Amino acid sequence: MTTSEFDVVVIGGGSTGTAVARDCAMRGYRTLLLERDDIASATVGTCAGMISSGLKYRDEPDIMAMCSKEVVYWNRIARHIIMKNPILAPLLDLSDAASDSSYMDSYSEHVGEREVPPMMFLTPDDSLELEPMLHPDIIASVYYEEYFIDPFRLCLLQALDARNHGAVIRTYCEVIDFEVNDNDEIEGVVFYNRVSGATEDVKTKVVVNAAGPWAHKVAKSADDKLPIRLNKGAHVIFDRRIVNVGLTVKAIDGRWIYLFPHENTTLLGTTALDTWEDPDTLVASFDEIEYLLQSMETVLPSIREARIIRTMTGVRPLVPEWKVPEGKVTRGYEIVDHSEKQGKKGLISFLGGKLVTCRHMAEAVTDLVGKKLGKEVACTTHEKPLPGNEVDVDIIALSKEYGISLHALERMRARRGTEMVKVLEHTKEHPEWKTTICTCEPIIEAEIRVAIREEFPQTLNDIRRRIRLGTGPCQGTFCTYKAAAILAEELDLSGDDFLVDILDFRAERWKGIRQSMRGEQLAQEELAQGMYACVGNLDQSDVDYDLKPWEEGC
Amino acid sequence: MDIEADLVVIGAGMAGLVAGTIAAEAGLNTVLLRKGQSATAYSSGAIDVIGYVPEASEAFASPEEGLFILSRLYPLHPYSIIGYDDRIETEKIVDTIIERARETVSWLKTHLDGTLAPLDGEFDSNIHPITILGTTKPTCLIQKTMNSGNLTDREDSVLLFVGISGYADFNPSAAAQTYLEDRMSTGSSPRKVAHCVVQVMPFGKSYNLSSIELARHLDHEGSIESIAEQLKEHIEQVGATHVAFPPILGIQNALRNKTKLEEMTGTTVFELLGFPPSIPGQRLQKSLETIFVKSGGKLLLGHEATSYQREGDVLKSIIATTPRRQIKIDAKAFLLATGKYIGGGISGDENGLKETVFGLMPVTGDYHSATDIVPSRSTSTLSISPMGQPIQSCGLSVDPEFRPVTEVGTEWVVNLFAAGAVLAGYNYSIEKSGLGVAATSGYNAAKNIVALIKEVP
Repeated sequence: MTTSEFDVVVIGGGSTGTAVARDCAMRGYRTLLLERDDIASATVGTCAGMISSGLKYRDEPDIMAMCSKEVVYWNRIARHIIMKNPILAPLLDLSDAASDSSYMDSYSEHVGEREVPPMMFLTPDDSLELEPMLHPDIIASVYYEEYFIDPFRLCLLQALDARNHGAVIRTYCEVIDFEVNDNDEIEGVVFYNRVSGATEDVKTKVVVNAAGPWAHKVAKSADDKLPIRLNKGAHVIFDRRIVNVGLTVKAIDGRWIYLFPHENTTLLGTTALDTWEDPDTLVASFDEIEYLLQSMETVLPSIREARIIRTMTGVRPLVPEWKVPEGKVTRGYEIVDHSEKQGKKGLISFLGGKLVTCRHMAEAVTDLVGKKLGKEVACTTHEKPLPGNEVDVDIIALSKEYGISLHALERMRARRGTEMVKVLEHTKEHPEWKTTICTCEPIIEAEIRVAIREEFPQTLNDIRRRIRLGTGPCQGTFCTYKAAAILAEELDLSGDDFLVDILDFRAERWKGIRQSMRGEQLAQEELAQGMYACVGNLDQSDVDYDLKPWEEGC
Repeated sequence: MDIEADLVVIGAGMAGLVAGTIAAEAGLNTVLLRKGQSATAYSSGAIDVIGYVPEASEAFASPEEGLFILSRLYPLHPYSIIGYDDRIETEKIVDTIIERARETVSWLKTHLDGTLAPLDGEFDSNIHPITILGTTKPTCLIQKTMNSGNLTDREDSVLLFVGISGYADFNPSAAAQTYLEDRMSTGSSPRKVAHCVVQVMPFGKSYNLSSIELARHLDHEGSIESIAEQLKEHIEQVGATHVAFPPILGIQNALRNKTKLEEMTGTTVFELLGFPPSIPGQRLQKSLETIFVKSGGKLLLGHEATSYQREGDVLKSIIATTPRRQIKIDAKAFLLATGKYIGGGISGDENGLKETVFGLMPVTGDYHSATDIVPSRSTSTLSISPMGQPIQSCGLSVDPEFRPVTEVGTEWVVNLFAAGAVLAGYNYSIEKSGLGVAATSGYNAAKNIVALIKEVP
């Protein structure tokens, strides 16, 4: 590191933290982002990626207007990582429709700017034509459209863009302490480098705490307080796009749940349980999986025939409202300036918020940072595109030029936009790098190597977040060892580290596979055990494997 | 269409093919149904007998030692069952288990001699071949193409790992690094390990090469020479005495290719143990099918057992189905060798497990009913560990004759037997016992079947 003094230190590499780092860097503030794990490794990495119109929050018209406007901005700056899903809310009886019709009006109020049609009712025939697997007894359905973004890629692109504007991004750096003077003013941040094992410190006067479900812990390490409401949400993930359109339905308790085609998979979610557990240890429970399946079964009776590949679990950092269910807690956000609450001067924390509003949150907090620094600069994050979004990409021409399948290129385009050409250029010198390493997604070797060289991953899990390695039906059974070998080559790792990388990735995949094991996944796991334990003998390996938080105590 | 047979074997992996061959050799009219690809074809092609007892960290020096200990600790293990016979005195049980396993191993070696998968190795010692990860694992028999000769005995041996450009299933640099560290930690030879990459271009393609493409390419006359040419320089550079290839040296001509490479380079050449899709696994599968057919057995490809007819305590017939036809097969005895989850013998949903052909009751590794277990609760939170995943020990419980039993502990019918991975009570991935259990249980179940049929007039 060349400097140990920054204008602002951002804590947390989720959607909000990376947005803040990008905004601060673009306004010319010397910015450091510290993330305890990897970019998008917690809450945002377990969401469905919907950049929502705010439909669920129609009681908060300001939020709806904000969401809608943000969608417009996202489509401007990041359209290469955005997909639009048509969504049906099938109705099985009239009471489903009659409960409240104001949502149609509130949704339709902003459709023009988002370039989607107004919400409308569809007949059963029209509904079944869109989605033939629907329950034949539906009496109608409500049709609307929402945009979805690749949440991993969004965070990474924000981080990379911040870096392009001079920010320093440090992953695997966990903030453990603050330097505070007698005046209660923050002067520096102390953090633990989890890769090197060293403790480091930097000087700064302003700290933005965007640690999500750990925000209260960060505040505590500054001897400050931050009440928060943590809420667990679980998803069940299917092996492919099992529906043509998204579906939303009311669950047994009246909450809305959804089934969304997402990248090459389908996501069924979510649950909402208040939690006080360590977010790192949480996994989906049998009850959560059944809650989701049984609720969606009411409109999609054949859902259990589809292949479930895993579950994923995250924690929402909500505004601390008591005595209301999760769904009634505001989806607006709060910026807590600790100095205004007799807390530490220079510490600013986030509560609440949504993926779609992360840029807005960043803009607001960066305005405040600018005030504190006495250097106010206008925000441009909604105008300047994220890397790769400059122009459209002609996949067909690229396929001909580089001799790579359209399918592989289209998946690469959805991650990189125009930047994909940088990957493809490598295959001129190294045609062997056109080899598909992850066949489920698919991902070619050149993209793995470029990701390792330019997107600062430390582990296979980090590569998974960057390019969806091992996220398909086989859950990394076949790509784990191949990608680990490439990582070992690129980072010049020891043999032990190569094996540890394999074990770590298997552990993380298993965390989600295990909870929903059934059907084909039984055979898939027999195969994985056969490869890594029976042949590879890794169950007997004496490498230095660290137990994961969710494995401890076993 | 109806067929009559003495024995119908359902499943064409190691267990079914060994059993079918034994039965056919004993003169039984044997029909074997093969639905699709068996788990045997996915295996590394080496034949494990017993490497570890569960949760142990020290490998057994030999299958003999392993079975001696295992049969005392796990009296219901499929290996242990082969020693239970009314005619055998209690103190002879362990000896019988060891003898019968030894007999199976030597039967395999003899029968696979001259096939595409001839074997090396002895029942009296486990060997530790190198895998494509650069790790080693204990096993009993390896295919002759995997024999690394005096690699670890020679003080001055130098090992060269050879990768193939555009073939992602094997990375020579990671394997070399891992193996070298392993050698250094134990202070044993080879003390020098290197790696290199050669070009092999089936159909002129330089990327996305698969094991099967490479193996078929190398089966062709003349293809191995270009590899030998490329290797010479690398071998000279590091002074390699031994050369390790991924397991792709050919389907038909692998052994000949090994010999040719050895002659041309003056080194010992061998294949590593690999992952699926596995060429040595396919060589083994083909070889087992060949010896079965040679012994007079009938192999029905693409046939799945879909229903059965039972009268009292006797199974009368099964219906074998293909997309085009259905055949009723009457037989005196039946062997279920359908494998576990990969093979399709056992399947499961969120509510429990079932046996797929006859609806028999699967049990857990602790011999409790598995018909209503939640699969995730029969797992360990650790993905890869010496504890393994308990769900992989589920399967059928059998009597000393290898006949599946019902929940009251008696056999379901008198003439249905089971062998191989469909059996409960062992986890082959952590024991390193998969093909050994399959062969031994198939071998002994077949002996029991022959005895049963020969005593029926």
